[in-house]
This record gives sequence, C-alpha cells and structure tokens, in this order.
Amino acid sequence: MDLTFSDEQRLLADGVGRFLDTQRDFQARQAQLAAGTTLSPKVWQHLADQGLLALPRAESAGGMGGTIADVVAVAMRFGASLLTEPYLATVILSGAALEAAGTDEAHALLADIASGTAVVSFAHEEDVSGAPASQIGTTAVADGDAYVLNGTKALVLGAAEAHQIVVSARCDSDIALFLVDVTANGVGIDAFRTIDGRGAGRVHLDDVRLPARTLLVPHAEGVLDEIVADAVIYLAAETVGAMDTLLRMTGSYAMTRQQFGVPIGSFQTIAHRLADMKIAVTKAQASLLYVTALREAGRAGPADISLLKAQTGRLGRSVAESAVQTHGGVGMTDELAVGHLLKRILANDALFGDAELHLRLLGAPSRV
Amino acid sequence: MNLDQDPALEAFRTEVAEFLDTAPTDAIREAGRKTTSVFAPFDEVMAWHRILAKKGWAAPGWPVEYGGTGWSVEQRYVYAEEYSKRDLPPLLPNGLQMIGPLLMHLGTDEQKARHLPGILAGDDYWTQGYSEPNSGSDLASLACSAVADGDDYVINGSKIWTTYAHHANRMFMLVRTSTEGKKQAGITFLLLERLDLPGLEIRPIIGLDGVPEQCEVFFRDVRVPQSGRVGAENDGWAVAKALLVHERSGGVASPSLRRKVEAIREAAGRQRTAFGGVLADDPVFQRDLGLIEAEIGSIEHIEKLAISRHPIAADVAFPSMTKVMGTELTQALSVLMTRVAGQRGLPVQTAALEVGSAVPPLDDDLSLVAMPYYLNSRATTIYAGTNEIQRDLIARTIAR
Repeated sequence: MDLTFSDEQRLLADGVGRFLDTQRDFQARQAQLAAGTTLSPKVWQHLADQGLLALPRAESAGGMGGTIADVVAVAMRFGASLLTEPYLATVILSGAALEAAGTDEAHALLADIASGTAVVSFAHEEDVSGAPASQIGTTAVADGDAYVLNGTKALVLGAAEAHQIVVSARCDSDIALFLVDVTANGVGIDAFRTIDGRGAGRVHLDDVRLPARTLLVPHAEGVLDEIVADAVIYLAAETVGAMDTLLRMTGSYAMTRQQFGVPIGSFQTIAHRLADMKIAVTKAQASLLYVTALREAGRAGPADISLLKAQTGRLGRSVAESAVQTHGGVGMTDELAVGHLLKRILANDALFGDAELHLRLLGAPSRV
Repeated sequence: MNLDQDPALEAFRTEVAEFLDTAPTDAIREAGRKTTSVFAPFDEVMAWHRILAKKGWAAPGWPVEYGGTGWSVEQRYVYAEEYSKRDLPPLLPNGLQMIGPLLMHLGTDEQKARHLPGILAGDDYWTQGYSEPNSGSDLASLACSAVADGDDYVINGSKIWTTYAHHANRMFMLVRTSTEGKKQAGITFLLLERLDLPGLEIRPIIGLDGVPEQCEVFFRDVRVPQSGRVGAENDGWAVAKALLVHERSGGVASPSLRRKVEAIREAAGRQRTAFGGVLADDPVFQRDLGLIEAEIGSIEHIEKLAISRHPIAADVAFPSMTKVMGTELTQALSVLMTRVAGQRGLPVQTAALEVGSAVPPLDDDLSLVAMPYYLNSRATTIYAGTNEIQRDLIARTIAR
C-alpha cells in the first residue's frame, strides 16, 4: 500500500503551484475579479500549455491519461490558490461526458478544450443539490430528427464563460446528455458569480431545438454517477488544499499577533482551537488520500464518496470558521485570503450534496 | 498511489481467523461481549493472554528476539481486524504495550531477563503507579517518596488510578527521590516485584460503572530493593516520558469501533420510536449514525496512512492527534449506544454483566453494556494524558 504522491505528481503540482503563487497570487486574483474577469486568459493558457486541461482524459481521447491521483495533486493547489477558472466544469465534468460520448465531434471539442480555446460547462443538477439523476426534471422530447429541451438548471458553474453546455435531460425513461450551444434559440443564461469568485449562471432551456447529433450519451445514469464521483473527489481536494492553507496562515498569525503583551497563540483557548484545526485537517487529508487511492483502484463505492464529501464539508467548514475567529476583525475583511478560503470551502460543500445529506446517506440502511 | 497488498496476506487472514474462531473458551468470548472498558474482565482476559502466548501471538508488536511474532505492520493490522470482528477481550496493555517495551529500551539485561518472560506469558500483571491524588496532569509534581536505605528504598505516600492493582502482582511506579532543583529532576522509576509487602495497602475504587477497575495504593515505610530501579536515580522523568510514547501510540482502533457500529445498526433496526417506525429509519438518527460512520472511516484512513508509513504519520503530533480522535469518537459512539438502548439502559445490571453470571440480562446485549460502556468511556479523554494536555502538545507543533 502506498498513499503518497509519486515524484511526477509532486512535480506537476509544484509546477502549477509555483505558477499560481507567482503569477496569480491572492492580490492578483482579487484585482482580476475586481476587473470583472473570472477566467484569466493567461492562467487558462498556462493550464493548457502544461497539459492540465486534458489531464484526466484518456490518451485515446487526445488526453494525458492522468489518474484521479494526478487530478487530486493539482486540485489541492487550485484550492489553496482559490482558482476561479472553470476547471471543474470544463475538464472534470464536461470533459468526462465528452470522453464518454466518444464521437469524432466530441473528440474535436476535447481537443479545443485541451488547447484552451473551448470552454464547456456542465448543467446537470437542478434545484436540489445531491439529488440522484432519477430526479432530473429537464426534458428532451424527440421531434423528427431533432430533440426539444425544456427545463431550468439553477446553478451551472462556468455558464458565464462557456461556449457550449453539456445538459442532462430526461429522455423517454432514461437520462441523456446533450451538447447545447449557448447561442442556440431558447437558451437563456442569467450569469452571476458564486460567493467564492467563480463564474456561473442559471440556465433556462425554453423549447431548445437540437439536432440529433448533439445527443452525447443516451443512457447516462451510470456515466453521471462516475462523473459526479470524480467531481466530489476534485472538490474535496480543493477543500483540503484550502484547509491546509488556513491552518498554516492561522498558526503563524497566532504567533505574531500580540494582545495583552503576548502572542495570542499562547492562550490555551487559541492553542486548543489550533489543535482542533490540525486534527480536522489531518482527518480530511487522510480520507482524501485513501478515497483517491480507492477510486484509482476502481474500488470506491458510493459510501466512500459520501464519506469524503461529508468529512471535507464539515471539517472544512469547522477549520475555516475557526480561522476567521482566530484572525478576529481582520478575518472578516475582504482584503485577507482567510474569508475567501472560507467561501470556497462553503461553496464546495454546497455542490453535489452537502455534508448533512451525505452523513444521512451514510447512516441510512439502504445505502451502505 | 496503490492499495496493492501482498497476496500472502489473505492466507494469513485465514490462518488467524481459524485460530481465533476455535481457541477462545466460552468464558473468554463472554468476557469479550461484556467488556465495557479498555480493561477487559481480569481472569478471563489473562486466561486468553496465556492461550495466545502458547500460540506465540501474545505480543505481535514485540521484536522477535523478545518473543514477538515477526509479523509485518500489514499482518498486525489484519490480525487486529480479525480479532475485533470476534468481540474478543483486548489483552491488557500495561505489560505488553507499556512496561515491556520500556524495559526493552531502557532496562538492564538482568531486568529484561527477569521480567519480560512473565509479561509475555501472561503470568504477571503490572499495574501503573504514576498519578497521585494531587498530581494528575502535572505529573512531575508527584510527592510519593523513596529514600535510599542500604540496598533498599523506603517508600511513603500514595498512588491513584492504578488500574486493576487489586489483581496485580507487580507494579511500575514513579517516586520522588529528590526535592532539589526542577521537579522533573528528582523523580526515579521503580519496578516492584511483589505487592504483598508490609505497609502496602490497596483500596479498590468503585467507578461510575459500578465496578472496581481503578485503585488507590498506600505506602507506609514500604521497603523495596534498589535493583528494581530503571535508569539512574533522579532520571525517572526521562524514563516515564519514553513510556508515554508507547502508551499513546494506541495502534488500531477502527475495526473494533466498526464492530460496535454494526451492533448499533442492528439494534436500531429493531428499536421502535415514539413517531412510529424504527429508529434505523429516523432521519436524525441516520444523520448521527452517519457522522460516526464517517469519523470511523477517517480514523481507518489515518491508520492506513500509519501502516503504509505516510509522512503525515511521522508528524510529532501524530500520537497526540490519534489519541484525541480515537477517544472522542469512542465517547460519541458510546452516546449513540445509550440512545439506542434508551430506557433499557437504565436498570443497574452489575450482576448480569459478570462473566459466568447466573443472572440473565433483562434485555439484549447492547442494552446491558451501553450504559457501563458510556460511563467508563468518560475516562478515555482523561487517562494517558488528558485530551487538554494532548491539545497543548499538538498546538506546539502548529504555532511558530
């Protein structure tokens, strides 16, 4: 058994980490967001140049053949650096759907994703986060050699920046995946930004008429389960990266911030909170690494995925809230990364079912 | 990353399972089911210790030269998993995990030859004489004194939280041999080869669970030979600290916690609620059970990091962190157990809980053990360095 990252994985992660630390540190990120940009062409191009936009794709699909452990190694850096670019939507979610489709057209779009020229978002969940695919309400009705889609997807990451959207819809008794051009008639996108700085939008599909060739995956429930499992691991890795950063920032703040003439870290209340933060980070890291290894070995079941989502969600929230409290007033400001790391952790918790949902799934007799 | 295991491990698992299925007597199995503490019922657990010693399996963690099994870390984990699945009483830790390893590292050749075989065989039980009524977390303030007199020390004072001292035939203890300088600099580590000594009195203490597990030991001019000293006189603090490391590196907790969750799940499937239906279908219960499941999972993952020698497990705070996690989860689990038992956990059933008792439990096994287990487990965050002390130690590794 080996739960460490390989030298290659460390090199990959250190490379992108160094780029983000130097070319897009927290100040640069905030300046970019203030200028209204959630997708920096410079950052996106760097990810493309490093092969990261095709990292998890099979070599047969023009990808790097990376494993989930490769993705996790990189995603921890993304979380620590509060990446705003639509990596999850385009690479982890849509890329996997396109690879599952396997058509020439899908492969061509994957090539455009890999080169950084195409941004694709993924519209699956509707107004209930973590609901099974069987609850999808968006419909696709065959009409001659076309399909007509109707429905609303409440929170679609990357929708603000995307050229195309992978959409899940109920089609007869199945759930199917379609590729929708954002300029198609009947597609409406209310663009917004999520609390953690990502571009997103509410996608309305109003009698959107699609040619048959846009049907990517006709029987998609199994594919969706796999895609969501990878997305959960990706989000967990981002959260653990953010948690680790918060622990280090808070530890050093507690040793430098003086009140009553001494560092606040010398007070037992603060010291014990730091200890609890380290315990939480260690648990989350351990579960991330082990579930990643399980997934890589093809042995991660729904309970393992729920466990990881629940633990990173609740432990992440606990660490981030402790970090804000320990930083005091300054932790409340927009100027410090602490609050933004909290927001990233909260956002990651809310996507694909929050900690409370997954805890209940773990405890329910039918699921485990 | 990979999760590959040596294929020989599964053959090993079968070998372990076969032995553990056949070797324990009915009384030993009953003692396992009725264990509500880290410390299993004394007579049965020592009988089981002696059976395992004959098999050569009493001390999987010991070096082969001292009678260990020579198993790999992975084999030891498999053994712990199989052991926990069967509700067998865990062997008492004092000899095998505390004084035994300490003597291997710091004892003289004569002390090793004299004491290790009896520990391994399960012939001797050593109680730990560290805490005193006025020295708990501030252990170095201890006052029980030993004054050199010829070849002996003469001991005066008292020790408390000496587990199973009323069953013990040996004791390792800390005594004050000097009041000069720092309080840590006047402490000496002593081995007592017998406890039926003039002036030594043992008083069992009834615990919250209604049974005497802990004791207080009084010393009035008790003479013991100086040959029982480990390390130099006044150097006992360093010896004690080395032992604390052994005490805190608890090993494998998740399989036995999982076993208890299975029992809770099973009982919750039968337990009706005031809302109608069964507890297992109650959303609040499901959420709380899920939390316990998730936490056990994370602890298992941490144990896997440790056995695969991941750098996270090499953190100097790791033993303290696992102590805090394991004990606080044990307590949370015990709360859930009492919730499932509900009012069936209220009758005092001390007699039914005794091994070999003719008194049958009023209800199921879970209801019998739930409350004593809950009450006893309050001690887990107090013993072996309170969790407050552990958090102090952990915090020192962060804030710099």
